[in-house]
Amino acid sequence: MSDQTVTIDYANSLIYELQKAFWDERGKGARFRTTKVGNQYFEEKVRPLLQSTEIEDIIEKIGGVLQGEGIAANVSYSREERLLKIGVKGCIHRPVEERMVAKGVEPFTCVPANLIVLAIEEKLDVPVELAEIKVEEGTCQLLLVVFEKRPSLD
Amino acid sequence: MEEYTLTDATMKVIQDRRSIRDFTEEPVSDKDLDMILEAARQAPSGENAQPWRFIIVKDEAMRKKMGAIAGGGSGRRFTAEFVTKKMQERFATLQDEAKRQAAFQKLTSGQVSTFMANAPINLVVCGKKDVWDTPYDTSAAIENILLMVTALGLGACWVIAPCIDIRDEERIKALLDIPEGYKAVSILSIGHPTRAHKPRPRLPINELVFTEKWGDPYYKKEQE
Repeated sequence: MSDQTVTIDYANSLIYELQKAFWDERGKGARFRTTKVGNQYFEEKVRPLLQSTEIEDIIEKIGGVLQGEGIAANVSYSREERLLKIGVKGCIHRPVEERMVAKGVEPFTCVPANLIVLAIEEKLDVPVELAEIKVEEGTCQLLLVVFEKRPSLD
Repeated sequence: MEEYTLTDATMKVIQDRRSIRDFTEEPVSDKDLDMILEAARQAPSGENAQPWRFIIVKDEAMRKKMGAIAGGGSGRRFTAEFVTKKMQERFATLQDEAKRQAAFQKLTSGQVSTFMANAPINLVVCGKKDVWDTPYDTSAAIENILLMVTALGLGACWVIAPCIDIRDEERIKALLDIPEGYKAVSILSIGHPTRAHKPRPRLPINELVFTEKWGDPYYKKEQE
C-alpha cells in the first residue's frame, strides 16, 4: 500500500460527487445499493476484533476502531427494543452528508452505520436495516432496525 | 371472440395488465412460455446489445428460497419506512384504521413479496453489466413480457424486492449461480390469476405532459 496521503477535503469531495451522481441516476433506490460500502474496511479492521455477540460490545468495538483511526470522535448508542439509535460525533465524512442535505437530498450512506450493520449481521446472523441518517448539530443520528431472525431459506 | 383493430388490441393489452400476486396451481404451458420469451427477445436495446438473460425457475424449493429473500428485503425496507413514520405519511389519506393497520402489517412483514414462492414460474431477468444501457434494455424486455403475459390471459408481477438491495441481490446470484458479469435485475412471477383485478389509479395525463419545456401543460384541462 502506498504511503502517499491526500487531504480529507479532496477525499470527501470525490465521495460527495460519487454519491450525488449515484443519487441522480438511481434516486431513493441508491441507498440500497450502498449498504456494503465500507465492506473492505470492515474485513480488514473490524472483523478481526469482533468476538462478542452482544450488540453493545460490537458497537463499542467499532466505535473504538473509528476513534483510533481518526474517523469519528465518538460513537454513542441506545437501544429501544428492536431500534438501535447511534450517535456519531465528529465524523470526518460529515461534510459529505452536509453537502447532500444542502442539495435537498436525504443522506443515504454512512460508513459507520454500514460497519455496524455488517458486524451485527455477521455475528448474530440477523438482518439489520439502516432506517435513517439525521444530520444534527455536530452529530449524525442513525436509526437502525435489528430484526429477530433472518427468513429461513430451508 | 371479440375482434379488435391492431391499435385497439394493443391498447387493450396495455390497459388490462395488472400486477398479479395470487395464482392458481395450474402450470404455465410450454407454448405460452415460448411466446413470453420470444416477446422478451424482441425488445429494443441500446446498440442492439441484447444484454438480457433469463432463468426459468419452476422448482418449488428454489421458489420458496427466492420468496424468502424477497420477503426479507421488503420487510426490512418497509419496516424502516414504518419506524421513521414515512409509511404513515404515505397512507395518511387512508381513513379506515383497520385497512391502514392491515396495509402496514402486509408491508412490514414482507408478505407483499413472499407470494412469489407460490407462482408456478419465477422468471429471473439478468442483465449483462458490460454494456451501456442494461437497466433500460432489461426493463423494455420486462414490459414486453408483462404485455404478452396479459395477452395470453395469464398474470404476472414484476418483483424487484429480491434484487434492489445489494445484500439480497448477492444472495439471489449465489442461489442461481449468476456470474459476476451479470446483474440480477428483477424477478417476474407468472401464472394463472385466481381472480380479476381492478385497475390501480393513474395520475391525470394533464399533470404528466408538458409542451415544449417543463411546466406548461400539454393538455390544458383534465382528460378522462
